[in-house]
Amino acid sequence: MSQRFPLPAARHPLAARFLDDAAAVGEAIERFGSPLHVVFPQVIAENAAALAGVLRRHGVPYEIFYAHKVNASAALLAETSAAGLGADVASAAELDRALTAGFAPDRIEATGPKSPAFIERIAELGVTANADDLWELDRLAAAAPAGSAVPVLLRLSGFASPAVPQSRFGIDLADADAALETVRRAPGLDLRGVAFHLDTADPAARVDALTESMAVVAAAHRKGLRPSVVDIGGGFRQRFVDDPEPFQSYSQALAAAAPGELVWPGHDPSVSHKYANHRPTTEVLERFLAAELERRPVAEVLRECMLTLWIEPGKALVDHAGVTLASVLYRKRAAGRDLVVLDLSRNQVTPADQEVLLDPVLVDGHGEPPAEGVFLAGRLCLESDLVSRRKVFLESEPSSGDVLAFVNTAAYQMDLSASFAGGHPPPPKIAAVLEGGRFAFVADDHHGS
Amino acid sequence: MRYDSVLDMIGETPLLRLDPAKHGVPEAEIFLKLESANPFGSVKDRVAWGLLRAHIDEIVENEQVVVEASSGNTAKALQIIASMHGVGFRAFTNRVRVREVREMLSLLGTEVTEMPGLSECPDPTAPNDVFGVIGDLMAAEPGRYHHTSQYTNEDNLRAHYEQTGREIHRDAGSVDLLVGGLGTTGSTRGAATYLRERNPATAVVGVVAAEGDFIPGIRSAAEMWEVGLFDPGFYDAIAAVDSADAISASLELATRHGVLAGPTTGAAYAAARERLLAGPGGPVRAVVIACDRMEPYLSYYRHRRPDLFGAASPAPAEEAPSATPGDLEAWVAAGEHVVVVDVRTALAFQAGHIPGAINLRDDLLEQVMEAGMPFSERSRVVFVCPTGDRSARFAARAAASGRKAYNLEGGVLGWRDSGRPLAGV
Ligand SMILES: Cc1ncc(COP(=O)(O)O)c(C=O)c1O
Ligand SMILES: Cc1ncc(COP(=O)(O)O)c(C=O)c1O
Repeated sequence: MSQRFPLPAARHPLAARFLDDAAAVGEAIERFGSPLHVVFPQVIAENAAALAGVLRRHGVPYEIFYAHKVNASAALLAETSAAGLGADVASAAELDRALTAGFAPDRIEATGPKSPAFIERIAELGVTANADDLWELDRLAAAAPAGSAVPVLLRLSGFASPAVPQSRFGIDLADADAALETVRRAPGLDLRGVAFHLDTADPAARVDALTESMAVVAAAHRKGLRPSVVDIGGGFRQRFVDDPEPFQSYSQALAAAAPGELVWPGHDPSVSHKYANHRPTTEVLERFLAAELERRPVAEVLRECMLTLWIEPGKALVDHAGVTLASVLYRKRAAGRDLVVLDLSRNQVTPADQEVLLDPVLVDGHGEPPAEGVFLAGRLCLESDLVSRRKVFLESEPSSGDVLAFVNTAAYQMDLSASFAGGHPPPPKIAAVLEGGRFAFVADDHHGS
Repeated sequence: MRYDSVLDMIGETPLLRLDPAKHGVPEAEIFLKLESANPFGSVKDRVAWGLLRAHIDEIVENEQVVVEASSGNTAKALQIIASMHGVGFRAFTNRVRVREVREMLSLLGTEVTEMPGLSECPDPTAPNDVFGVIGDLMAAEPGRYHHTSQYTNEDNLRAHYEQTGREIHRDAGSVDLLVGGLGTTGSTRGAATYLRERNPATAVVGVVAAEGDFIPGIRSAAEMWEVGLFDPGFYDAIAAVDSADAISASLELATRHGVLAGPTTGAAYAAARERLLAGPGGPVRAVVIACDRMEPYLSYYRHRRPDLFGAASPAPAEEAPSATPGDLEAWVAAGEHVVVVDVRTALAFQAGHIPGAINLRDDLLEQVMEAGMPFSERSRVVFVCPTGDRSARFAARAAASGRKAYNLEGGVLGWRDSGRPLAGV
């Protein structure tokens, strides 16, 4: 008998309450089917307030734009609108949803590579364009009518500091002057500021990128432009566990285990770092603002530079704002291992190149934890369609018809890779709101973000 | 007493019993363990030598460079020991915040790599904490470096267990309370482990800086989770002390007891006294670790208590004459000599300033004005900051010493928002 190496997921009180309420889970599955994505708009509001609290405490002028790409849910988008946030949209479809959700064009920012049609709409509506390339700027300059003032941010990349991860996005610093020149000459564009986005927890990377970006702000002033914004993008971490210890024991056990013991044969057993994080989602931002630049906290330097700080969090805003439910079809033994087969496919609960590393919760489970771990299998014809390639350790024995809940799946996991493979549509999505001690559900479908 | 090597002078520090009539805690005996008497000046001398002693021959033979994460006393002691043996030393740190400490390291030739924002100790959640950077450095040139690793190395504890704790017990006997500041936690934990073996009831209080405050050499409670050696269960209490109390207590040690000790010692003494006064009373024997001396922190004291340095109480900022952007433009147009002094950081100045302004950041201007008032009495001098709140006191001070000085209303922000141009560097 092997030892147990459970990796329990941190649970937000609201998610915990839902999953402990077997009747509510049962009602949701009965009405909307299984598998099912459930989002919690109340949690995104809470996360937004926490990030805003940090920015206020550090006394920096700020705007928060919700990176809608993280989840296609209309309910989550509407909640951020109600909370007074802006929206960061990455396509014409996302732009339409943001408008429908009630965001005025001046609270919308468009990021990422853009099609000509998308650029036309941006120019027409006066949405802030976070320009990814000189080509986009030229198109935008042509599309913006003289006399309009379409706000433009220059997304920068090619930073000299080795601390800053390289990126395929953005305008190389070497081309920044040409970009500024394009904006200066365009009668319909207004330089709002500079931007970058770094997917890292490292405050030093953002500090270095900020420092280098300031040269572009200075160059803009030399050209008579009036930048007032620095946008540091998203990339703030999610908090997946309460305690990092099980991860440490697990990594050690993994290193010592026989091949195939803890991991399905043929798979890379490397442990993704993101799931080990137990620090609050606000910490990366907090450490950036408190980091020192010219022996002063960054927050103070930003105030001195008279720049409004924009952030575009995706995953930090939807942290714990959703769970994914799937039913157990049956159990079997194969390849000498215990399998639990689910009515779910791997790419419906995680980008297919990643692994959900935390143990799902067995809803309404009873009895002792089973001594042995199991592998979770998906329903596609692919051998690789294992929902867990890692052996998971459930709290109690699952059987046919039971519901397993994957916790904290709202960030990129629900829609980023979901496909119609095998004729299975992506799982429906619902929003669950706790009202007077009861969960109320509404359909929240928006496939294919 | 005669010595043949300065390294033999490390340890065997005095234990000073404070005069009960002067410390004022009834029935308490309070001792200071004067680690400042170590030859390089701090409690860290024991650790530096403890970490290197068993390895130094090998380091010399292989011409290795010693590396460590430290911004202060450890770096100083390691540098001196490395230099004495003809080997190199490099310090990595997230910040050196005290001027004298920085200058002392320069004087000794320490190569300091500052990594703002990075955690100085092993941090499981940061992809490149200072530890990671040191790890990369070592991996890039295997065998080139020797990492003493004070935050994780048990030799740090051992030095204090075998020496500091033993000496305290020998000189004071059984101890009821041990109080010390927490950096790596090596000194308190090592010494307390020894003392508790002799008296399991020894209470231990670890002292940290109040959240958001700064006391050189020790951490704040929120920073403690990063420390590899830190074991919260070990302490009877973690006491947070603010810098004002640490400074007052260290001044009291100097004036009442003749002990010139730094702010960490002040913090530990303040925490010890507070605990004893709040306690049940009765005879009690307490030991406070005095980590280092007062002198290296003069700039720290000056910054936080300018009143103690004879700074004339500054002219109230509200009394600063003010000027509008229009006034400024009018003076320039009339051909008057106008100096616009922008007190923001260089980065902010470069990114955008009032055309023609000069840049003298506030903390430096403060020092300049302490030394004497610059600027001609014939020039008009206009001080600017982001919004006009911080530059006002400079304008007031310059005006009080006879300059035609003004504070720019609304600051650079007001200037910009009124549509006036900014210059970038
Ligand atoms: C430009 C930009 N901003 C913000 C985000 C959101 O990032 P995160 O979900 O890591 O906060 C992304 C994600 O890809 C992005 O590309
Ligand atoms: C002045 C001062 N006080 C206290 C300490 C804390 O010592 P330890 O690292 O043993 O906890 C240090 C450590 O650097 C220090 O420099």
